[in-house]
Amino acid sequence: MLRLENVGLKYGDGPEILRDVSFAVHPGDFYFLTGPSGAGKSSLLKLLFLALRPTRGTLRIFGEDVGTLSHGNLPLIRRRIGVVFQEFRLLDHLSTYDNVALPLRVAGRSESSYRRDVMDLLDWVGLAQKSADLPPVLSGGEKQRAAIARAVIAKPQLLLADEPTGNVDPVLAKRLLHLFLELNRLGTTMLIATHDKGLVRQAERPVLHLEEGTLSLQ
Amino acid sequence: MKPGAIIPANAASLTSLTVTMAVMCYLACLAIGALILVDRAVTSWTSGLSREMTIQVRVVRDADIDKEVEKARSITAAFPGIVEADVLDESEGAKLLEPWLGTRSLTGLPVPRLIRVVSDTDHPPDALALQKALSQVKGASLDTHQKWEVELTRMARALSAVSYAILLLICVSAVAIVIFATRAVLQANRHIVDLLHLVGARDSYIARQIDGRFVRTGLLSGFIGVGLGILTFLLLGLFGGGSESGVAAASWGLLFSAPRVALWSYGMLFAVPLAATLICLITARITLIRRLGVVT
Ligand SMILES: Nc1ncnc2c1ncn2[C@@H]1O[C@H](COP(=O)(O)OP(=O)(O)OP(=O)(O)O)[C@@H](O)[C@H]1O
Ligand SMILES: [Mg+2]
Repeated sequence: MLRLENVGLKYGDGPEILRDVSFAVHPGDFYFLTGPSGAGKSSLLKLLFLALRPTRGTLRIFGEDVGTLSHGNLPLIRRRIGVVFQEFRLLDHLSTYDNVALPLRVAGRSESSYRRDVMDLLDWVGLAQKSADLPPVLSGGEKQRAAIARAVIAKPQLLLADEPTGNVDPVLAKRLLHLFLELNRLGTTMLIATHDKGLVRQAERPVLHLEEGTLSLQ
Repeated sequence: MKPGAIIPANAASLTSLTVTMAVMCYLACLAIGALILVDRAVTSWTSGLSREMTIQVRVVRDADIDKEVEKARSITAAFPGIVEADVLDESEGAKLLEPWLGTRSLTGLPVPRLIRVVSDTDHPPDALALQKALSQVKGASLDTHQKWEVELTRMARALSAVSYAILLLICVSAVAIVIFATRAVLQANRHIVDLLHLVGARDSYIARQIDGRFVRTGLLSGFIGVGLGILTFLLLGLFGGGSESGVAAASWGLLFSAPRVALWSYGMLFAVPLAATLICLITARITLIRRLGVVT
């Protein structure tokens, strides 16, 4: 599903953030990605959701070599990937409901066809009451849940989550972990970047550790 | 629950584009008005001119000017194809010379005498034969105004060419400012566009969210421009002053003439909002697709 070979990444003329990163993720896998702040976890995820291209090495996603993908082919690949951004990236002018529905909307689905799914999911993450609210009036944890709901609404094959429990209390973190485990059980491949040691311990899943630009399996 | 607009309407407002486009459309209307007016003025002048000719009788030594003038008049009046031949009396002749000589008395000066000749448009006289017949009259010469017709037509053609050039320039600058405005909208909504890309939106989908606003801008500014244009012609028609064939009458005629003619001028004028809308839509679309293809 994901295959990285000697992937290197640097921003502009800066130092190499990632050096010779090689690993493979297979369908149905569940990995955590850990490492100190600034190690490059978010950068690695950006490579995987095609917001950046590796400066060297090869990266294959769903069997496609990212280096040779044309701009026109990106949308269909991105629709198979759900992303929870570290900084949420909710659109402030759209209601929580519209934010969560966005991936379905850009895929051309009509509002009537997805209304139930979106409301059910909002209900599940505890945001049913907030569906008409705009993100600026949500709490940090509520934004986080909205961001997670948006990432999973289109039932992606691969979920990339960057600190998905960074802003929630342990009880809610546990609930979200259950959501991730449940999605994984239903077939979604997971890669979750986190500092949350408790979360990693509870889940008992393999951990990829990123430090000084290199990746190792722990 | 109606989904909210993906690109918020208030981010990067298109007000300044609307204003600029409206001014462009207004200028385009003026250029079109000028085109139509020149065209019509030329038709009316030249048709008037070719009906009229002038015979000039110069004062020649040892010839009685009054006799020669009368001779020229009678020859001309009897000539086939001539409807009318009037001798302009001396004061009228003097009036024609006023611009050059002022209002001082002309008595004693050898002022040429003029005969105004109106020909039958259906059976025009043979000008050459008339000229020949007039050679019996001392000092007489026939002016058919053909030279003026040629000059006028050339002038009119130059004016039309200038109007077309102005229209072309207006289109070019309209395209340029729409490109500029499109980039500004993209820039202002960069974070939204990036997110849309990341959740799997196609460029064409994103472009559709934006170019509708450009279509509305084009339509609105086009109609503002045409409205102001028509108002201008109306005001010119009402308060422009001048004679029967002046700017005022011509502007008035642009708006209120025979339906067949007016239809043509209104058609030309209302092509302006259409053109503005198309320029906005096509330019914005092309710019969007090209720009969106550049970012990841
Ligand atoms: N757009 C960018 N341009 C230049 N440098 C960047 C950019 N984004 C990140 N970096 C640099 O890359 C390095 C890795 O950043 P990254 O965000 O990937 O770390 P991280 O592991 O996600 O950290 P954290 O745990 O704090 O989220 C940092 O040193 C950062 O300064
Ligand atoms: Mg990070």
